[in-house]
Amino acid sequence: MPKVTIAQNILAVNEQVAQEIRQDLTARGIRTLNIMSSPGAGKTALLERTIERLHSQLGIGVIEGDVETSADAERIEAAGAQTVQINTRGACHLEAHMIRAALAEIELAEIKLLVIENIGNLVCPAAWDLGEDLRIVVVSTTEGDDKPAKYPHMFATSQVMIVNKLDLLPYVDYDLQKVRQQALAINQHLRIFELSCRTGEGFAAWCEWLMTTASGL
Amino acid sequence: MHELSIAQSIVEAVEVKATELSATRVKGVRLRIGEASGIVADSLTFCFEMLASSDPVLAGAQLQIEDVPHRARCHRCDQEFAVVNYIAQCPTCQEWSSDIISGTELLVLEMEIET
Repeated sequence: MPKVTIAQNILAVNEQVAQEIRQDLTARGIRTLNIMSSPGAGKTALLERTIERLHSQLGIGVIEGDVETSADAERIEAAGAQTVQINTRGACHLEAHMIRAALAEIELAEIKLLVIENIGNLVCPAAWDLGEDLRIVVVSTTEGDDKPAKYPHMFATSQVMIVNKLDLLPYVDYDLQKVRQQALAINQHLRIFELSCRTGEGFAAWCEWLMTTASGL
Repeated sequence: MHELSIAQSIVEAVEVKATELSATRVKGVRLRIGEASGIVADSLTFCFEMLASSDPVLAGAQLQIEDVPHRARCHRCDQEFAVVNYIAQCPTCQEWSSDIISGTELLVLEMEIET
């Protein structure tokens, strides 16, 4: 019985598509973010507030991943950005070929920043490269403060962590210092922003960083 | 939860190779899966067997998984060490800066076929 060598990365097909997307977007001068979190941490609110502040200066396009509904895409569109909705119909993560298809519906000449809002899930999306330049993981003070330790793969593969709902800190048992320490123990290069999408606290630092990053190509 | 997608990718890679070699049957597939790849081996095996069962060439193929430990090399003292729960602090000199040297693999290594 012959043994045949394959020696292929299991996600080779996805990674090839992701690489093509990255090269294409980089050549057009577009920076791409892949935003991930558990459901309800505030990814869409973060995007709404960010678009309100930066859209006129940057030109922002959004790819909204959701299992069902176009509710989030409607929110983002109302905020003023070009938006494409992907419904995965049950799948727990986005894959690069979905992004490639969605990009055909965006006027790329009009944007400098592309934001992909992934499916609310701290496990599966971490395994799929979507062609992004940076991965951003969002956590919030209404979740447990042990998320980095429980879902280390997500934090290990992200470059930025945002702690949202800072305004609720007085009302919840959330140890911010513990979250910082856990996250940095897993990924010492992680850049951390602490903010509230509701009150705007801490938002200036995030927007300033985003502007610098988006113009840094 | 994403093991089904991973299993689908494995089946596709194996099918391409099996067709190329005119295999009539695939008896086994060997994978190398790193400890830090985020994959649950039992779940992956279950999904693979389910997908393989509906393919006449792959039906009954056994999945063999080679585990690779998550390890790093310290930037300060050059010591290799085991990364536990993704926390890569050198146990010898307490340095936080290191290179991951293994544990993120996700590979289809080889398959056993009949032609």
